Amino acid sequence: MLITNKSLLENTKLAWQFYRQEFHLPQQRLLRWTQAILLIFMLALSQSSASVQQYLTQNLQGLLGADAQISQRQPLTNQQVNDLSMQVDQMVATQQIKINFSHQNSWQYISLKAVADNYPLQGELLTATSLDGNSEQSLTGPKQGEIWFDSRLFASFNLKIGDTVEIAKQAFVFTKLLKHEPDRLMEGHNVEMRAMINIRDMAALNFGEDLIHYRYLLTLDSTQIPTLQDWQQQQLPAAQFIHKQGNHPLALFWQRTENVIGLASIILFFMAAIAIEQISLKHQNKEQYFSAVCMSLGASKNTGIIVSIVKWCFSLLLLVPFALLAAAVFHWLIIHYLTASFPNLQWQWHYGLSLKTLAFVSLIFALFYLPVWYSLLKSSVAKLFNQSKSTNSNLGQKLATVVVLVIVALAYSDNALLTAMLVGAMMVTILLILLLSWLVLTLGEKLTKNLSGLLPFVFFMMKQRLVSKSTQILGVGLSAFLLLFTLMLMHDLGKTMSNYQRDHDGNLMVSKATNEQLSYIKKWAQDNGVNIRQHKSYLHAKLVEINDKSLAEHTDKPSDSMATFSREIRIHWNNQLPTNNRLLQGDWWQADSENWQQISVEQEVLTDMGLDLGDELSFIIAGQSYNFTISASHEFKPGNGSITFWIQMPTAALTHIKANHYSMASLEVSEQQQPLLAELWQKFPTLRMVSLQQMTELFDNLLAMITKVISGFSMLIILLASIVILASINAVEANEQKKNSIIMSFGFNRTTCLKLNIIEWLITAMIAACGAIVGTYLAGLLIYQSQFSLTYQPDFSWLFATLLIILISVISLGVFASRKSLNSSIRQLMAE
Amino acid sequence: MSSHITPSYIQLSNISQSFTLNNAKIILFEQLNLTIRQGQSYAIMGPSGAGKSSLLMLMSGLEQPSSGQGSYFKNDVQGQEEFSLDFLRADIGFIFQQFHLLPELTALNNVALPLKLRGDKEAINKAKLMLTKVGLQDRMNHNPNELSGGEQQRVAIARALVFEPRFIFADEPTGNLDENSAADIANILLSCCKDSNAALIMVTHSQVLANKAEHVYNLSHDGLTQLKNAQGDALKVEVAC
Repeated sequence: MLITNKSLLENTKLAWQFYRQEFHLPQQRLLRWTQAILLIFMLALSQSSASVQQYLTQNLQGLLGADAQISQRQPLTNQQVNDLSMQVDQMVATQQIKINFSHQNSWQYISLKAVADNYPLQGELLTATSLDGNSEQSLTGPKQGEIWFDSRLFASFNLKIGDTVEIAKQAFVFTKLLKHEPDRLMEGHNVEMRAMINIRDMAALNFGEDLIHYRYLLTLDSTQIPTLQDWQQQQLPAAQFIHKQGNHPLALFWQRTENVIGLASIILFFMAAIAIEQISLKHQNKEQYFSAVCMSLGASKNTGIIVSIVKWCFSLLLLVPFALLAAAVFHWLIIHYLTASFPNLQWQWHYGLSLKTLAFVSLIFALFYLPVWYSLLKSSVAKLFNQSKSTNSNLGQKLATVVVLVIVALAYSDNALLTAMLVGAMMVTILLILLLSWLVLTLGEKLTKNLSGLLPFVFFMMKQRLVSKSTQILGVGLSAFLLLFTLMLMHDLGKTMSNYQRDHDGNLMVSKATNEQLSYIKKWAQDNGVNIRQHKSYLHAKLVEINDKSLAEHTDKPSDSMATFSREIRIHWNNQLPTNNRLLQGDWWQADSENWQQISVEQEVLTDMGLDLGDELSFIIAGQSYNFTISASHEFKPGNGSITFWIQMPTAALTHIKANHYSMASLEVSEQQQPLLAELWQKFPTLRMVSLQQMTELFDNLLAMITKVISGFSMLIILLASIVILASINAVEANEQKKNSIIMSFGFNRTTCLKLNIIEWLITAMIAACGAIVGTYLAGLLIYQSQFSLTYQPDFSWLFATLLIILISVISLGVFASRKSLNSSIRQLMAE
Repeated sequence: MSSHITPSYIQLSNISQSFTLNNAKIILFEQLNLTIRQGQSYAIMGPSGAGKSSLLMLMSGLEQPSSGQGSYFKNDVQGQEEFSLDFLRADIGFIFQQFHLLPELTALNNVALPLKLRGDKEAINKAKLMLTKVGLQDRMNHNPNELSGGEQQRVAIARALVFEPRFIFADEPTGNLDENSAADIANILLSCCKDSNAALIMVTHSQVLANKAEHVYNLSHDGLTQLKNAQGDALKVEVAC
C-alpha cells in the first residue's frame, strides 16, 4: 500500500514536471483554449439558467396573488361556484379581455382586467396619481364607472387624472395610475399595456363570454390542494390550475429556451470534439513514446497511463479558476441582459451546480481524450524499435465519439425533430465531405496524371495521404458548415420571414373574428375596396387526453407542441385538403363520410408528441368532451397563404359540436386606407388584428435579440473553428516539415513549397466548402420549413459571398499557420 | 548524360566557415580548396564536429561560406558556363543516414516523387526502372515501414538518382546499417552513380565505404587532406588548404 502511494506520488511529480515542460507547446495551448471556451460557456449558461429558475420559483410565491388560481375560457356555473366556495376559504373572481382601445384618434391593443369588489386577495395593489408620484396601496380595485391605466398606456395616450374615456360606447373616468397588481404572474412577462375596471362594468360592456378569460383567485390550506386538483380535473378538465406548491407557468417555457441553447451548445461540443481529436493525434504519439521509454526502463504499463491522466487533470484543474472567473463575468452580463424580461433578477452563484457542470464537462473532455489513454494500453517497448507512427487513429474510437455526441445531443434537446435534423444534416455533411474528398482526390490525381506542374503533384500527395487529409478536410468542412449555418440563420430568418409575410398575408392579419365580425369585415372590405387575401374558420378546443391518458401522463418532456397544448388550440374544419397543405400519411376524409370523429394532425406535432395514426385524442370544446381518431397527417405547403392549422376535422363534425366559430383572415390595406381601420376598432374593440407595422415592430425586436445572441454564438464558433484549423495543422506539422525538407532535397526551393502549400489549402478549402454549402442548404431546407413553417429561400449570392470570405480566411489562416512547416531545411534531415 | 560532353564540376576556392556561439567565434575550417567532378566519387572522413556536414551544405550551395568562393561550372552541348553555387539546386540530390522516406507512400511512389514534382508524365515507369536497378522490383508496393533498413536506403538511392542529378550528396549513407547491408548499399550507390554519370560526395566514418570512393579526403581541424586520388594512389599528405 505504501509502495503504491509512493509510486503514485512519484508519478504525480513526474506528471507535474511534464505538464510544466509541455505548457507552452502549441498543441497544449490549443487544448487549453478549447477546454476553456467550453467550460466558460457551459458554466455561464447553467448558472444563468439556475438563476432564472430560482427567480421563477420565488416569483410564483410572490406574484400569484393567491394560494391557488383556476383559469379558463368559460365562467364557472353557479353550481361550480358553490362547490368551489365550499372547498376554499376565500374566492375572488377576475376577468380579462384583450381589446383595441381608442381615444382621440389614437388606438392601442390593450389587456383590460375586471376585478370583483373583494380584490385583491393577497399581496399589494399599488396605485399612484402621477407618473413620478409615490405609490400607495389600494385596498380595493376600481369602483363602478372608474378605470385605472398602467404607466405606459397613460403616457402613450397623454391622459390626465379625471379624463373620461370610452370603451364600446360606455364612459369611464380615469381615476388612478395602476402601478402593481399582486396577481400578475400570468401576465407578468407580456408587453401589452394594461387597464383595470370593476367586474360589474365588464358585464355591462357585454363582450362575448368566450372572448373573456376567467380567473378565480383562491385562498386555501396547502392540504386542500390535492382535493381541489381532483375536483378541477373532474369538473373543469380544460381549466388551468396553478398553486404555490407547483411549477411556475413560465418554467416550462424557460426550460425549452434552455434546451434550444443546449442544442446550440451541442454544436460547440461537436467543434470541440473535432479540435480535441486533431490535437490528440499528436499527443497520442508523444505519450505512447513516453510510455514505451518508461516500460523499457522497467516501469509498468500503468505508469505511462497514470502520468498521462494526472497530467491531463493538472491541465484541467489549473484551467478551472480562470474559467470560473470568466464564467462569473459572463453570467453577470447575461443576468444584466435578462433583467429586461425578468425584472429584479439577481446575480447569484450556485456552487453545487458549478461543481456538477464542471464534472459533466470534464467527463465529456475525458471521453474525447479517451483514445489517447486507450492507445497507451496498446503501447509497447517494441514501439521504440519500430519507428512507425500510428497515423491511422482507430475508426472505432472515432465512431464511438460521434455516437456519444449524438446521444448527448438527443438527450439534451426537447425538440427531437429539430435535433435530429441538425444532427442529420451534420452527418450528411460528414459523409458528403468524405465522399467528395475521395472523389476529388482520386479523379484529380487520375485526370492530372499527364499534366505537368505542381497541381498533379499536390493531387498525388493528397491522394496518398487520403486518411489524414480527409480528417483535416472534415474538420475544416464541419467548422465551415456550422459557421455558415449559424450566420445564414441570422441573415435569412429575418429576410425570409418578412418577405413571406408580405407575399402571402397582406399587411393586416385578423387572428380572431366572430362570424358577426367577419361578415362586417367582408362588407367593410367590399365597400372600401380592401382586398381580403384569405380567411379560414376555426373553433377553440383544449386537448385533455391522448389514448385515455392525461397530457402529463402521456409525456413529461417539454416541447413546443406540448407548451401549446397546455392552452386552447384552434381546430379548423373542411372537406378537402387545403391548398396550402400536403398530405403525408393516412387518407383525407370524403365529404360524405359519416365518420366525423376523425382528425388530421400536423406532421411536426405528431413527431413532437409521439403520436401515430389511429391514436385517440380527447378535446374539451365549449365545456363538452369529444373524442377524435387521428386518420391523417399533413404539413404546410407554401405558396397559397400562410394560415394553416395543426388540427383539422371534417365539416360534418360541426353538426355534433356546439361551439362558437371564429375566423382568421389576412387583408391588404393600403396606406390611404389605414384610417378606415379606426371604424372597425370602434365597432368591435375585441377584434384581434395586428398590422404589418406592429408585426414588423415585434419582429424587429425579436430579430435584434436573435442577432445579438447569434452574433455572440458565432464568435464562439469562429474561435473554435480557428482552433480546429490550427489543431489540424499542428497535428501534421512535423510530417509537413519533413515533406518540405525532402522536396528541397530534390533541388527545389522554399517558394515551390509555399506554392504547393497554397494549392493544397485551396483544394482542402474547396472540398470543405462544397460539403459545407450542401450541408447548410440541406439544414436550411429541413429546419426552416419544419421549425418556422417557412419556405427556405436561400440567398445564394449571400451564401457564396460568405463562403468566399470563409474560404479566404481558411486559406490565409492555413498558409499562415503552416509557415513553421515551410521553415524547414535539408540540414534538419541530416541532423536527425 | 552523353560521354562526349566535358563533365560539369564544382569548385571551392579558399572557402572558410565559422560561426559564433556564446560570443565566441568558432572556426570550422579555413582556406579550403576542393574540386568535385561529375561522374567521380568522393568520400570525406574525419572526426565528429570537424565540419563535414557543413562542407556538404556549402558544396551543395545550400549554405553560404563565411569567406571564399564556390562556383559551378556547368557543361552541356552549348559549352561551359560558370554559375554561383545557388544555381546548383536543380542538379543535386541527397541521401541521408535516416533515409527520410515519406511513410505514407509506397516505395514506388517515394521514388516517383521528385519526377512528379517536375511534372514528368513517365514518373511511375522511370521509378519502376530505378527500383529494379537497385534490386527492389519485388518490393515496389511496400510502405517504408514494411522494408528493412537496407531496403529503405536502396529506395532512397533510387529516389535521389531517378531525376538524373549531376551531383549526389550522401550523409553517412551506411551509418544506420549492418555490415552486410552497408557493403551492399555501398556497391549499389557507387555503381548507380557511375551509371548515371553523377558525382557522389559522401560524408562517412566508414573506412570500408570510403575505400570504395575514387577520392578520399580527411577533414580535421588541421584542414582537408586528400588520402587517395582517382588513380587509386594512397597519398601521404596533400594539404589542400
